[in-house]
Amino acid sequence: MVARFFRSRGARKFMANRLAVAAFLVIAGYLLVAGLVWFTGIITLEETLGRIGASYQPGLWGAQRSGKRIEDATFWFEVAQNAADRGDFETARGGVAFYERRLTGELDADEIKARVARGIALAKEVLVVEGFDESASVLPKVDEIDAIVVELFPHPEGWDAFMYGARHVLGTDRQGRSISFRAIYSIKVAVQVGVVTALFAVLFGSFVGAAAAFFGGWIDHAVIWLYSTFSSIPYLVLLSVLVYMFNDTSVDKTLIPLYVAFGLTFWVGPCRVIRGETLKIKELEYIQAATAIGFSRTYILIKHVIPNTAHLMFINASLLFIGAIKGEVILSFLGLGVKSGPSWGIMISQSKAEVVSGFFWQIGTATVLMFVLVLAFNILSDALQDAFDPKHV
Amino acid sequence: MWVYILRRILYNIPVYLGILLLVMLALRTKDPVWAFLGKRKSVADHDALEHKLGLDRAFAVQYVLFVGDVVTLSFDQESWGQPGKTANELLGDAIVPSLVITAPALLLSSLISICVGLISSFYRGRTPDRVLVILAVLGMSISFLVYIILGQYFGAFILNDKVGHRIFAVEGYPDSLTPFTWWTYCMLPVAISVIVTMGYDTRFYRAVMVEEGTRDYITTARAKGASKSKIMFVHMLKNAMIPIITRVMITLPFLIGGSILLEMYFGIPGMGRRLILAIRDNDFPVIQAFTAVFAGLYIITNILTDVLYALVDPRVRLS
Amino acid sequence: MRNRISFFALAAAIVALPIGLAGCPNGGGEGGEGGGGGAAKKSIHLPMRTDGPKSLDPVQGSTVYDNRACSMVYDTLLQYKYLVRPFTLEPNLVEAMPTVSADGLTYTFKLKKGVRFHDDGCFPDGKGREVVAGDVFYSWKRLADEDNKPKSWWLVEDTIVGFDEFKAAQNAAETFDYDAPVEGFKTIDDQTFSVTLKKPVVRFLWLMSMFQLSVVPHEAVEKYGNKFGRHPVGTGPFTMEEDAWVAGKSMVFQKNPTYRDDHYPSADEITDPKDRARGLHEPAGTKLPIVDEVRFTMFVEDQPMWLQFESREIGYTQVPAEYFPQAFVKLTKQLKPEYADKGVQFHSEMLLDFIFRGFNMEDELLGGWDPESRTYDPKKRKLRQAISMAISWEEFNTTFYNGLNVVYDGMIPPGLDGHPADGKAGASYRGPDIERAKKLMVEAGYPNGEGLPTIDYYVNRGGNSPEQAELFARQLKKIGVEINVKLVDFSTLIQTVDNKKAGFFSFAWSSDYPDGENNLALFYGPNEAPSANHFNYKNDEYDKLYEKILSMPSSPERTKIYEQMRDMVLEDAPYCGSMGRERFYIINPWLKNFRPSEQFYTWVKYLDVDDSTRP
Repeated sequence: MVARFFRSRGARKFMANRLAVAAFLVIAGYLLVAGLVWFTGIITLEETLGRIGASYQPGLWGAQRSGKRIEDATFWFEVAQNAADRGDFETARGGVAFYERRLTGELDADEIKARVARGIALAKEVLVVEGFDESASVLPKVDEIDAIVVELFPHPEGWDAFMYGARHVLGTDRQGRSISFRAIYSIKVAVQVGVVTALFAVLFGSFVGAAAAFFGGWIDHAVIWLYSTFSSIPYLVLLSVLVYMFNDTSVDKTLIPLYVAFGLTFWVGPCRVIRGETLKIKELEYIQAATAIGFSRTYILIKHVIPNTAHLMFINASLLFIGAIKGEVILSFLGLGVKSGPSWGIMISQSKAEVVSGFFWQIGTATVLMFVLVLAFNILSDALQDAFDPKHV
Repeated sequence: MWVYILRRILYNIPVYLGILLLVMLALRTKDPVWAFLGKRKSVADHDALEHKLGLDRAFAVQYVLFVGDVVTLSFDQESWGQPGKTANELLGDAIVPSLVITAPALLLSSLISICVGLISSFYRGRTPDRVLVILAVLGMSISFLVYIILGQYFGAFILNDKVGHRIFAVEGYPDSLTPFTWWTYCMLPVAISVIVTMGYDTRFYRAVMVEEGTRDYITTARAKGASKSKIMFVHMLKNAMIPIITRVMITLPFLIGGSILLEMYFGIPGMGRRLILAIRDNDFPVIQAFTAVFAGLYIITNILTDVLYALVDPRVRLS
Repeated sequence: MRNRISFFALAAAIVALPIGLAGCPNGGGEGGEGGGGGAAKKSIHLPMRTDGPKSLDPVQGSTVYDNRACSMVYDTLLQYKYLVRPFTLEPNLVEAMPTVSADGLTYTFKLKKGVRFHDDGCFPDGKGREVVAGDVFYSWKRLADEDNKPKSWWLVEDTIVGFDEFKAAQNAAETFDYDAPVEGFKTIDDQTFSVTLKKPVVRFLWLMSMFQLSVVPHEAVEKYGNKFGRHPVGTGPFTMEEDAWVAGKSMVFQKNPTYRDDHYPSADEITDPKDRARGLHEPAGTKLPIVDEVRFTMFVEDQPMWLQFESREIGYTQVPAEYFPQAFVKLTKQLKPEYADKGVQFHSEMLLDFIFRGFNMEDELLGGWDPESRTYDPKKRKLRQAISMAISWEEFNTTFYNGLNVVYDGMIPPGLDGHPADGKAGASYRGPDIERAKKLMVEAGYPNGEGLPTIDYYVNRGGNSPEQAELFARQLKKIGVEINVKLVDFSTLIQTVDNKKAGFFSFAWSSDYPDGENNLALFYGPNEAPSANHFNYKNDEYDKLYEKILSMPSSPERTKIYEQMRDMVLEDAPYCGSMGRERFYIINPWLKNFRPSEQFYTWVKYLDVDDSTRP
């Protein structure tokens, strides 16, 4: 079936479309990243949840305005102070809490406290200056504060420096978590949700639709009733009710409720389309011939009817993939989506508070990553449609 | 024809009954009464209330009674979340705000998309077409939520700040609707909703137009020397009306349902917002009534669409 | 070529249509507002950070939003003093504080003369009638009538002589007779009445300020039936038309023109110098209410609320934790210059909060209650103490609350008798102290968590609680305790706790009234689930002390008993805690006289507006 598909005229037409091939490669890239996260754990869930530094750190070059620089420095002072107070250097030095950024081992508790006190005093001096954010006169003091931070928490070197950079390159969210790592980890989540949903919906929907059309009679009526019913329940209500049902069960924290929610609603589309297509195919001569020769009905359905709807399945799958990724954002907003770990939906709905402060790193990162993937899928499904189903409206 | 209509209606009745059954069952997977009771309560309170609300009766009885309510359109159970209001009244209150947003949005996005679709198909394969198609796809690839969050921030807050007076309200809904208050409160959500739907609509209408453009009658008209714009607007548009109407019809139930996200962010007291609040409140009677109404509207438009098809293409009636 | 031009013209015309509609982008003002001519109407616009009240019938209310709305239209006998801290009561509908009989059982009240209900169609000629003693008893009896679906009967349960019997008898009877006598209610004349309690309960006075016990006229209840909650008639400073409330969206209140003689408190009542600095003493003596119209908008999402504040549309906003760094310098907890320069003021207030993680003491694994001997298994106690020692509340505080919360020992929130100095009580098992926690684990028989099954931990799924639960799980892992987080709806959480099925759960308690007794009641044996003792904690000695303090007025002696009780509970560790929130408010320059409080909501009548600084 697959081989036949790739030898088809449509496949050749598709390959001729350079944009589509590019989109395909982009998608392959995302899949690769997802696979790497999934199988090799280059980014662990733990790393997307752990604090790497101060809250709302801007990306790339870090904070530029004095106020924000002081705020970020204050965070490190607090960490150092707490460690010195409790004599608990293990967490702060061992990189348990902040990965590569570790409290220096060269200073003892009193020396640390003295540095912190100096830093805080400087910070307080700056903060009373009128218009300190724009004022150039405070810059030397702010630079000195930053120098103290570096003294307490030296910049990592070598491989650590690279990881440190990767973690901080796109800034941090409210909990001081790495935006870049969260966004990349979310690729895995998105791909996982998309693949599972699309596969299930297309396979199940297509089979049911084809069978309904092919066998006709009461089976057809039952299937039509079923999909009419499902598609007539307002989408939102169906989803809320489902999540309400799953709530407090052992699968609550997994993605299963999300799959089921999408699966239940998404199979209707392919089912309708494939049913319509099968109605046409059924009347074609070769099917009639096959029946005349005496092949069993089920055999004909599986061997001859369903393979001839493959192009529609591919188109539908890519459309549903988009639907699942975008749907996840809406569900996360409604509090019904992914619950443990990051996802683009969670990142976007968390970023609503930051946009007001002019902090666009999180919403930007999640949107761009999602945009590229969805765009690629849009182009891909267009190209598939052009190539295999040119008459489709 | 009447036989066909009757057949469609009869056919949809079991579908509707099925929806009611599913929704009612799902809403009862948990005890709704516990949710309603306040900070301190006892099992006795629970049982008393359950009895009063008729939730202790057999499910079949509740089902039949509710179907009766739906048939007579009397959702006069008191809301739990908003005591003193019946589900009916809440429905009535919420319909207008939803329509005031969704109807203009549908109208505008359809008009604009049809035009853009026409332009696109007119230039099929050439630069303007390519640009428009790419724009449409780009627009489709951004999440609705991002449009809303950024739209509210830039479209209202920053814009007003820069201009110095209020062009769009950040959120809210006017006490009395006039063109002016409508503009202040509703234009921005409408605009966002138009932008979001335009990508999809444009692509659809372009495909319709392109398809129409390849028909024989166009070739004939062209051969007879009709001008290109006449062909587009007179012949093509007329024949494309069927898919256009169908598309608009399909959107109708969503019109009444409103847009949950827009209504939540822009504080519009419409149906979507009411439903979400009802779900948060575990407002059982309202959820039940709203879902029944939503599904009913959906079914009615389904029937209408079928009938419309049948009017246009008599062959459908026989299948 | 000609074709192309006409084609574009059409397309352009259609695209331009919405812009043409725009026409008149000038002018401002709220829709439907500003109709009345003449002197400028003083109108203020305030936020409610939720979907708002459910009903304006006081007996049906329970949430703070019901409280806020009811406080606009109704009056209670007593009220909180606006500017006095710690919280103090003053007469509201009554002429003076009630006189109490020597045995502490009978309270005698005298209503102010000439207080009238709102003018409303339910009265003859539409003129509001004068309030009499009978109205008070009528209003309270409505709490007993189950047909009203009252939510707050617990307030007066087992308190007033004959009231519980009245409730039982009337609800069992065919019709609820409001004229039937209650032994403890005595009408002396139209203005004077007395209430007799079953036992001397000091908190009774606090009840007199709770909105659930507001005074309502029977005419309105009879006329409007179950619509009364949407068509309120009271004696309060404001009135509300039925159609001025768009459910879940907005409410508009108008000044009550017949409001009794009530004035802004005198300048020497101010106890907080910061309030004086903000000029809160200036309006002393002004007749209340000051503004003509109050509009509330309900914000379910924080972003629009914040933007509306920044647009100066709404008068103030609570500062949601996510937005704190936006407006404040964290180090100094002062407003950022860009806000301060615009004249924005801020105010912060400690809430009477008790945030904790509770254990079910009847749970086999965590509680170890033996009903035979009425004691707890000491090993289980060690386990609970170990868990408590593993938790770092400071980390929660810095991560989720910008370090603004107060972490403390015991169950009595800051500002009340019985709250330990510096938050540190004698018996303390507050973490983090991983070493000691590990040691306790060994003593409990679970070294490094070996042999300890995974503990189900129940938590409300809303807000950032999934993230909080993640942090919690990580902290407990350090001593080898594994938890399975169950994120559930709030209603499910309550239900599971009430059924004693949750072994370990996250909960918070906001004091109903500012007296530590309210929090100590959470550990009183007879209050066990489904009542407020969610821990099902039982300690006979504790219960005896609790019964004793009920009738004690505030005194150092009582405080000592509070502390003793607090430490008893701490030793048994039926919960891990505690934390209380500090709430920050920022206030736009046009809103005058605002001193926020979340303990009472009668403050709207004191507010004023300065339209010159309003957009």
